[in-house]
Amino acid sequence: MSSTNHHLNLFPPLIQVGQAEQFIQSGKTLSSAQSPLNQSYAVFPSARTDVSSIKASDVEEQPIFFASSETSPSSERRLFIGDTSIIFAALQNLTNTAQSRGQEWLHDQETHNVIRKLTLDYVNFTRECWIHTSQTSVQSQGSSQFSGDHYRSLYTCLALFAVLYVPEYGYEDAPVGDDLMEWLNVHFIEPSTEEGDHLSGLDRPWEDETFWPYLVRVTLRGLSKAATFFLATLSTHPSDNLRRLAQQLSPLLQSQPRLQSFEAERDFAYASHRWKDKVKALRIELDSVSESDRHDGIENWWDRLSDIVGILEGRSEVIRRVCEDLGADWREISVSWGVFADARLRRQDLPEVVSQVLDDMPQDPTNLEDMVHAALFSGDPTKALSHAAQLDPWLAAHMADLMQALSLIEKDANEDSGLNIRDFHVLGYAQYLHADPALWRITVAYMFSCGETGVRSADEVLLHVPLKLRFVGSITHGQGEQNGGDNLKSGDLAGVVKDINATCYEYQREEVRRTICRIAAQTFVQEKEYGLALSYSSSAEDWPGLGRVVDRVLQEYITAGPEQFTRYVAGIAPSLQALRMQSSAQGIFIHRLMFAVRYAEFHQRLGNQDLQDAAWDLVSMFQDGLAPKSWWAVLLCDSQQLLQHDVTLLFPYASACILLQHLEEVIARTDQGSGDEYLRVLISKLGSGGTTEVLHALQGVRLALAKYFARCTMIGTGGKQIMERKFIAAV
Amino acid sequence: MIQTGLIQRAHNDLVTDVTYDFYGLRLATCSLDQRIKVWQVDESNGNWNVEDDWKAHDATVSKISWAHPEFGTILASASFDRTVKIWEQTSFASTADSQPNGAGTGSPQATSGGSSRWVERAVLVDARGTVRAVEFAPHHFGLKLATVSSDNHVRIYECLEQSSLATWQLSEEVDVSTLPSVSLSSSYSVAFATPTQTSATLEGASATLVAQALQQSQNPATQGRPGMGNREADGGWCISWCKDRYWGEIIAAGCGISGAIKIIQLSSSRRPTTLLTLDPSPSPAGLPAEAGTSLASDGDTPIPFAITSVAWAPTCGRSYHLIATGGRDGHVRIWRVKPAEEEPDVEGEGGDSKWSANVVADFDHHKSAVGRVEWNITGTVLSSAGNDGRVRLWKATIGNVWRPAGSIGVEQSEDTQDADVNMGENAIAE
Repeated sequence: MSSTNHHLNLFPPLIQVGQAEQFIQSGKTLSSAQSPLNQSYAVFPSARTDVSSIKASDVEEQPIFFASSETSPSSERRLFIGDTSIIFAALQNLTNTAQSRGQEWLHDQETHNVIRKLTLDYVNFTRECWIHTSQTSVQSQGSSQFSGDHYRSLYTCLALFAVLYVPEYGYEDAPVGDDLMEWLNVHFIEPSTEEGDHLSGLDRPWEDETFWPYLVRVTLRGLSKAATFFLATLSTHPSDNLRRLAQQLSPLLQSQPRLQSFEAERDFAYASHRWKDKVKALRIELDSVSESDRHDGIENWWDRLSDIVGILEGRSEVIRRVCEDLGADWREISVSWGVFADARLRRQDLPEVVSQVLDDMPQDPTNLEDMVHAALFSGDPTKALSHAAQLDPWLAAHMADLMQALSLIEKDANEDSGLNIRDFHVLGYAQYLHADPALWRITVAYMFSCGETGVRSADEVLLHVPLKLRFVGSITHGQGEQNGGDNLKSGDLAGVVKDINATCYEYQREEVRRTICRIAAQTFVQEKEYGLALSYSSSAEDWPGLGRVVDRVLQEYITAGPEQFTRYVAGIAPSLQALRMQSSAQGIFIHRLMFAVRYAEFHQRLGNQDLQDAAWDLVSMFQDGLAPKSWWAVLLCDSQQLLQHDVTLLFPYASACILLQHLEEVIARTDQGSGDEYLRVLISKLGSGGTTEVLHALQGVRLALAKYFARCTMIGTGGKQIMERKFIAAV
Repeated sequence: MIQTGLIQRAHNDLVTDVTYDFYGLRLATCSLDQRIKVWQVDESNGNWNVEDDWKAHDATVSKISWAHPEFGTILASASFDRTVKIWEQTSFASTADSQPNGAGTGSPQATSGGSSRWVERAVLVDARGTVRAVEFAPHHFGLKLATVSSDNHVRIYECLEQSSLATWQLSEEVDVSTLPSVSLSSSYSVAFATPTQTSATLEGASATLVAQALQQSQNPATQGRPGMGNREADGGWCISWCKDRYWGEIIAAGCGISGAIKIIQLSSSRRPTTLLTLDPSPSPAGLPAEAGTSLASDGDTPIPFAITSVAWAPTCGRSYHLIATGGRDGHVRIWRVKPAEEEPDVEGEGGDSKWSANVVADFDHHKSAVGRVEWNITGTVLSSAGNDGRVRLWKATIGNVWRPAGSIGVEQSEDTQDADVNMGENAIAE
């Protein structure tokens, strides 16, 4: 798991063994870039900046390597991550409730029971995963990312954590020996079943060299059934003494008081005391066996039996020696201590015992599982977490989460990093999850539980989730995805964007949501999906952005002509209705959108030869003040063909006057040096000619207007004759 | 640590920069071969394929930067030809709508073969030396970018028209070497930032720099003299924006061979000022700005060196900033920078609350010049690359103690089996 401290050499190698110096001397160095997508890096030979590089020969390859600090999780691991994240979320709910109800509530019986249940859920999940992986990895050799053994070690650690730190409510101060022994027997099975099978098949098992060690071990492990079974086989042993003692020993083993069988600890203590007296009586009998009868020719049975009684007596030196002889480790000594030497051993007293044991028989520093166990036994949760983090960031994160809920670790932030212990480990796990971009939902869920730093980190992760908008149109495989694509096109938020939006709402990350919507809008502008761009802009309440979208649509008129333009506007027109409803929408940008829609309508009518209405549209755009100044010249040029329409006079006299007014303003302001403001759009529409050509075009409009007024006069449509004269004079 | 992919032939000459886009799905690469390439990952198999490839500059392209995607698909490239160019990816249909004009911009040249969808939108020609770095500002400051060049200047450009990208206003132009510091109380010996590396006058300095730049660009095959004291070691090296919005526009810049990084505050209402100088010389670290320079002249006469790479970590809600530097002295350093307190210190004369910093990590594992430092998106993993031919990763413990977290090299494994195992993971592109 903790591959992060390793060195990776990339392939194919660029430097021969021991020739790094030459590589650098040739003006090269190594450089890298970090991917925002996951925990991966692009690594490439680069030019040194401190010397001019020798030009590389063309034959030389200039590779870019890609490496990742984490393997992205395999399917079974993903399942594990996903399933356990549900338990994590449940605990989050609980602690969030605690925040509103006060920390006291967190220590209530009911709450404690929930935490205990969740802890046991984790334990069970790791067990399931261990069993599952062990089975599948037998079938398909080593295809699993993590061996069954890895999950076994998670299982043992969590189960131990549960025994030591999450006892049933009210049992915090109860003796812990029996529970620990149960844990040891579940996870570190000794002696093996095979040994027992082997011995039970023998007629005179005591003649086998494994017999006595087996008997001693089952006694040490409190496995009274196995012990009594084999003690019974001694009934055919030649020694009278041994037969008699074995017969007396059996009921003693079976009757050793267990805490679970008592209502009150006082009763348990009393029973233990009485039982110890019986063991003492047995010891006296044992000692009275004469030296001559202590050996059966194969083994000194008396020594062995004495060891067994010594264990029951709780003699520490016997327990220790026996464990050493049996090859048992510090765990077994510590646990048997709590069963035999000090049956009332409490959780808080365990560290002292364990530290003595570890002095003589230290834990294995190369075995992380062992290190976690030792730290948990020693009452050092923080140290347990740091070893757990090396074993698997998953373990550290979830254990730290529980530890904080149980107030086992410091809640206050570390001064130097600004993080508390829990958040540090949970964020470490989240970072591990980030290696797989597909797990972003889970990644941010963990991050969001880690204070301000976590929230901001989650923001970064959310922002960098690829939106995959660009390929929506080209998805062809699978009907379902096709539909998804259609939904997206028709303006619904779908797919990843919808998910991110929902996540942002859930965690109230409005700022992030808006940024993502702005990015989506921009992407759709590039794809010319203006309708979608518009709805994303408005979703982001990015009114200047919305304005830019409309500008881009208007730009389409200039570059692609009226037909394309009207088609694009058809895409954005529905948004106009929605936006008008929205009170927060800012006027000026909505105005521009309205203009785009009206202008498209105008062109549509023009295309349909609906000239009368087109003319009306044109004038009303001026009248309503919708047309931006930069577009006046364009509109005026559009009016030219309508003015020149032979069959009928399309503009009422007053409307023609409006056209004239605007034409006058354009020309006058251009003279005053504001040409750019008024002529910009027309210049880009007409192309290379620049101002001169544009002014020439406007002269054409002026001429058309003049002719139009002349026709008005002849036909007598006009209004006030004086006005008319005045305008004709102006023209 | 595992190898996940390979591009066998990225360019025809040494690659100078590789940058991931915002999502990590595309790569922009540039090279001594004057070209830019854009690659896209095939997510089904992890292979990287060339999407576009064009000749971008008339000299080495030194750095490349992606704009935030809310502005579109935009690249800025810096070059030894003393220009910075702005490129935009356009869909095929609108390739023609590139806008002429704009301040000092030539008409957009057709990119190679006409197949490219990247259109040159602007050329920024203000630098009087090779442009060594370019970086777009954090998006909340608008479409802006910073450049640094061998003429000692950091230049800030702002795009005036986002729709066309044609007009970029040079909004700030700062000579980092002579930038005055914040004036502090008289109890400090005020030595107004005299550049320690001597350039006498601005004109003199820039003239020689231009000559160097010319020499550099015209005669790239000349074997430069390695080591310090080289004139080419002068000039601006590196920049990195503060990613946080709260403190306003702040940029870290490294210039010359003082071994220091200046933290420069940019503001529309006043001249750029130095908030802090990150100077690792053996003396109180993270000095108020003006003290850093005076120190170099007295005392143990530290050997001058250039900081060639600086990286400002995303703050991610932390109460402090992390800034990493890599330099010719072979050190990777991480600075923990505390912004000025909200309430100005009433006691302090002038009432200026100050930014402070201390080195929280100092690694010399590379044992040779460090060419690049870079953070991950949450500021929790630092990567550094050096002349030892290694990329090294660094992570912090809960006590903010930074530790090695793995390394990557390109040496032949002595244990060849190792290489074989890695091969299994590879998706060899092309």
